Amino acid sequence: MFKDLDPILHSQLRLAVISLLISVKEAEFTFLREKTNATAGNLSVQINKLKEAGYIDVLKQFHNNYPQTICKISPKGIDAFEVYVKALQSYTHTNGQ
Amino acid sequence: MEEDNFSPQQSLLLIDSMINKARNRFSENGFMYLLWGWLIFICAAGHFVLIKLEWFAHPEIIWASTWLAVIYQVVYFSRRKKSEQVKTYSDGIINSIWISFGVCMFILVFILSKYNIWPIMYPLVLMMYGVPTFLSGTVMQFTPLKVGGTVCWVLAIAASFVPSLYVLLLVALAVVVAWIIPGYLLRKKFNAENE
Repeated sequence: MFKDLDPILHSQLRLAVISLLISVKEAEFTFLREKTNATAGNLSVQINKLKEAGYIDVLKQFHNNYPQTICKISPKGIDAFEVYVKALQSYTHTNGQ
Repeated sequence: MEEDNFSPQQSLLLIDSMINKARNRFSENGFMYLLWGWLIFICAAGHFVLIKLEWFAHPEIIWASTWLAVIYQVVYFSRRKKSEQVKTYSDGIINSIWISFGVCMFILVFILSKYNIWPIMYPLVLMMYGVPTFLSGTVMQFTPLKVGGTVCWVLAIAASFVPSLYVLLLVALAVVVAWIIPGYLLRKKFNAENE
C-alpha cells in the first residue's frame, strides 16, 4: 500500500531511532533503548540495519571498562528522513488531511 | 514495537513523539552557575570588605581563587562528558558560548592590564557577564537567565555612575540575579524532570 515509503525507515523501531537521532548530535545505545522502550536485542538488530543502509554512523568504544555504543545520524540518513517525511505528507494530503 | 504495519499518520505521530522525547530532555543541572555565582559573589563582596577593613595591601588577591574554579571546571566537564548518554546541538552551542566568554574575559583583562585602565574594568565585566547569560537563556528557552543577562547590562551602565569601590557590590548583585537565582531554578527544574 505504501510502496513509495522507504522500507528501511518504515519500521516503527527504526523510525523511532532515526527520529531521536535527528533531534540530537549523538546518542548512546542506552538512551535510545530508554526512549524507545525496545529490548536490547531488537534495538541492536535495527541499529545494524540502519548502519548497513548508511543512515547512521555507529562508534563502539569503552568507558570505565564497559562497552559503549554511540550512534549519530549520517547526511544520507538526514536526506532519507526528509524524503520519508515528504512522502508521508503527500499520503496524508491525498487522503484529504 | 510492532513492525511495518502502520499508517502514515501513525508514522508522523511516532516521529513527533520521539522528537519531543529528545527535545524535552533537560541536561543543565545549574551546577556551574551556582559554583561561579557563589565564587564571584564571595570575591566581589570579600574584596569590598577587605578594602573597607584595610587589612591587606592587595585585597584584589582574593580574585586569584577563580583560577581554582577554572581547574575544577575543566576536571568536572571532562568527567561529565564521558558519562553523558546523549549530546544535543544546544549543549554544544551553550558550551561554545561560555568558552567564547572565557576567552574574551581573558583578552579583556590582558588589554586592561596592558593599558593600565582598571577603573573601567567592572562596567566592562558586567557587560560581558550579560552576553553568555542572555544567550544561554535564549538557547535553553529559560527566562530567568535572559532576565539575569539583561540585569547585568543595566548594572554595567549603572556602574559607570558609581564610585569604583561600590561597583564591587553591583558585581555581587549581578551574579546573584544572573547566576545564583537561575542556578537554583535550573537545579530545581533538572531534579523535577530527571526524577
